[in-house]
Amino acid sequence: MAYSMDIENAGKAVEIINQLAIFLRTARIHNISNSAVIAATDKFVDLVNELIDLEHTIVIEIRGEYLYFNANRIRYCPEHLLNLDYLIREFKKIEIGTIIIHSKISPEHIRIFIELFLKSDQSEAPFEYMRKGMSGIFCIELKKIQDISEDNFDRKKIARKTYFNAVSSYKDMFQKVRSDEKINLKKAKRIITSVIGQIIEQEQILLGITTIKDYDEYTYYHSANVSILSVALGRRMGMNHKMLIDLGMVSLFHDLGKIKIPYEVLNKPAKLSESEWSIVKNHPKWGVKSILKMRSLDPLTMNAALVAFEHHMNIDHSGYPQIKHRGELDLFSRIVSIADQYDAMISKRVYTKYPMSPDKALRELMEKSGDKLDSLILKFFVNMVGLYPIGTLVVLNSRELGLVYENNQEALHRPRIMIISDNNGNWISGPVVDLKEKNGNSGYLRTIIKTMHPKQYNINLAEYFL
Amino acid sequence: MEIHNELILIKNIIQGMQKAKKIVQIYPKNNPVYIKTLKDLSDQFNEFFQHSNLLQLHIAKNDILYDSESVYHDPEKHDNLALLFFKDGLRELTFKKGLTCKETEDFIKIIALDFERDIVEEDIVILFWEKDFDNIQYVVENSFLSEADDFEKEALNELQQEASGPDTLKEVYDEIFSEEDDDEKQEVILDITDKDLRLLLEELNNYALDKTEKYFNMLFELLSEAGKDHDYQDIINYFMAAISFSVKNGNLGAVTDVQEKLKQMIDDERTDEEIRKCAAKLLSFTGGYSIIELIGNMLNSGQEIEEKAFKRFFSLLEKDAILPFIKILGELKAMQARRLVIEALVYLGQKDISSIYSKLNDSKWYVVRNIVYILRKIGDIKTVPYLLKPLGHEDIRVRKEVIGTLGKLGGDKAVAALLECLKDPDMQVRKAALSALGNTGSAAAKKIIMEQISGRPFKEKSFDEKKLYFEALSRWKDEDVYAFLVKILAKKSFFITSKDYDNKACAAYGLGLIGRKEAVPLLNEYREISNKLLRNLHMLRFRG
Repeated sequence: MAYSMDIENAGKAVEIINQLAIFLRTARIHNISNSAVIAATDKFVDLVNELIDLEHTIVIEIRGEYLYFNANRIRYCPEHLLNLDYLIREFKKIEIGTIIIHSKISPEHIRIFIELFLKSDQSEAPFEYMRKGMSGIFCIELKKIQDISEDNFDRKKIARKTYFNAVSSYKDMFQKVRSDEKINLKKAKRIITSVIGQIIEQEQILLGITTIKDYDEYTYYHSANVSILSVALGRRMGMNHKMLIDLGMVSLFHDLGKIKIPYEVLNKPAKLSESEWSIVKNHPKWGVKSILKMRSLDPLTMNAALVAFEHHMNIDHSGYPQIKHRGELDLFSRIVSIADQYDAMISKRVYTKYPMSPDKALRELMEKSGDKLDSLILKFFVNMVGLYPIGTLVVLNSRELGLVYENNQEALHRPRIMIISDNNGNWISGPVVDLKEKNGNSGYLRTIIKTMHPKQYNINLAEYFL
Repeated sequence: MEIHNELILIKNIIQGMQKAKKIVQIYPKNNPVYIKTLKDLSDQFNEFFQHSNLLQLHIAKNDILYDSESVYHDPEKHDNLALLFFKDGLRELTFKKGLTCKETEDFIKIIALDFERDIVEEDIVILFWEKDFDNIQYVVENSFLSEADDFEKEALNELQQEASGPDTLKEVYDEIFSEEDDDEKQEVILDITDKDLRLLLEELNNYALDKTEKYFNMLFELLSEAGKDHDYQDIINYFMAAISFSVKNGNLGAVTDVQEKLKQMIDDERTDEEIRKCAAKLLSFTGGYSIIELIGNMLNSGQEIEEKAFKRFFSLLEKDAILPFIKILGELKAMQARRLVIEALVYLGQKDISSIYSKLNDSKWYVVRNIVYILRKIGDIKTVPYLLKPLGHEDIRVRKEVIGTLGKLGGDKAVAALLECLKDPDMQVRKAALSALGNTGSAAAKKIIMEQISGRPFKEKSFDEKKLYFEALSRWKDEDVYAFLVKILAKKSFFITSKDYDNKACAAYGLGLIGRKEAVPLLNEYREISNKLLRNLHMLRFRG
């Protein structure tokens, strides 16, 4: 197997991946004999055969949320976002983990592949159906997606460590800012890189951890959560590593101004008075001051100050602080604003009995789409957390209760659920079921009928997500 | 390949890295040594990749290992490549076949940074991460980040205290299923379309743009609200830092936008008095020593400066920027940079010319010369008395500049000063003075020149100097001068000496310069005369 490619071949790899998505998408819309499908297929065959001369073998593989071509990760950039997402979604649906092309292929081979791909939907075991269908075609080998349950425990442990590192580091920085001490941004940046690494590898596990809201120190956890959600969203939007680090850093500092809000106001277990509310509304401005006091001016500081200033403004400027000259809010501010509101809504607060359930919070955010929140970014956000975000307590038509465990990118309303009570109301632990599973009559085995908040039934999410 | 040869290749690569690291620190990117060193390193990598697809190095504190064999060892702390990687947590470094020259260069540029300095906020791992190399992979040990172990334990303990699930779930179970979800189920379209992606691309492309403008807008908002917290000085400090930052980064456009807004605030009577004071302070800051010195550094560094933005910048400054600009004038190396600063001073000098005069006694001759030039460009006749002192400057280049300026400014005082210069022992000074007298175009100057030519001592001057007199006189193309020149040319005498011929020749030259047609017959008369010099001269002028 080739380990690496030169730049020209890397460009061809991206072209091949794109072309693969194009003919599969086209075939879904048109008949397989449609000229557009044939043209796309032919082009794919040409590209593959050209490269196979140089690379000898082509391996297209799914690892986490990424596609790899001959062990090289295909970059997540906006130009390819749609097609990469499509392939990952479709392959996961069929459970194809790897396609290995051993030698030159013909359009006929691909025609068979497409036919099987289109029909696999109707099969109970789509991967086995495809593999069987392709068994006579020796130049193309399919491998099933790897079951990650075995090392899931370790992955969770690593994700958990990364998460608590982030919170602890933020707490440390927050306290240093409060006492005018110098802070170590190198360490903060390293932590952000490890968070991004986790998001790339196991986005859903880390997002799951952010749903746990039973900590007392809201501000620290909230800031870390907003940073994680923002970075995950930025990654979904195709940002490069440099941008992701910047986004992670600035989102970490978005609420730094809260240092100056008196404790009794910040933690008042009742509705704030007008004067108290006006104090709270100063925190964006105080945030700017804290950030500028903390470090000398550079592009990162500018970004952080802007985000601290704008994150409560709303895109129609109906929020706070009110400003005289209204311009477009910064991209990072619009991202952080969504992450901030979402995390705040689903968090336990001193003044609410129960926090909002994630799906309801999401619905509330969607009502603000276009007016107060950026509709495009919100769309990416919903695609990331799913219509039923991780940690949502769902009531199923099977008379079972479950927690949303992982999103199904290809069917946002049918996530993977961890069943926590059987149909008689007995607590159970697991299994994780896929709401896409169908019964014999082409209907679904389970469907969500409503959502509730775990707190309502004292369900401790930590038991399931940590 | 034999392991022995392989190890030699790898050792060469590591030596190449060390060498490249030093070269990159010393030489600029376009230097041949820089280019060659990086090319050599790339070639070394390529040689290795002819036999293997991966170069995987393990990092220890003082060693770099390949396949358990040490390929680099350095027990010293200083300049230890292994330690450089090790201290930031790098434990494994893998180069893959396909490694490009650009990647090699980026890699070396990262390791060549001076990580001991405070201004480098990143470590090697962060910078590698940001680069997101295709063909360089690394394994990092993050234990130093895990000071949070206790924190994690405490947090987990806290969570475990939360009970999970009511014992009485069965009792409420029916209730759960009987309750309707009163939330409306809404249809949402969440597919990300091509249009969405286009919009996203635009967003991301815009992200790369400078945020300075937005940042300044934010500061203006803070300034307008500053009264509430009495934090004017804080806001002023933020502005100052941002203005300095912008200038350092060559973003004069952002600064001029700020200046314009500040001016508007100052001019708007509705603006709060305190805020107007802040705005005035900030506007003055933009023309203060610190900012102008930054501009000087920028100009000296060869960094390109957009002329249009620079002109806009200085046009928004107040007179207090004059002295800082004069200060950098003495420090600038490039002609182009001096030209720009002079242009600024010509503009600003009109607001307060006395500040310009004050620097006529600067110790650097070239500064004085520039100041004189600036005064010439400003063109205020009141300047003349101030120029009399540098007229006696020890450096002839200054004196010549002053003379030229006096000629440009004109006036009786200037003419009188220039008349004195005609007596200067230095021919260059006299020459400049003549030219300057001509440039004044004044009747007094004309009279002086004509008197000088008519005077007895004139005969004794060299032909070249005489010629300069006539050249200066010919600037006046009036009847007086014409008649004066004709008279000299036509003058008859029994005893004509070669000195007389000098005068005639110069008069013919002057007539040629004036270019009146009626002089042609007279000039033709002298076509055949024997004095070769005169003939040549008049022919020359005639053709012209």
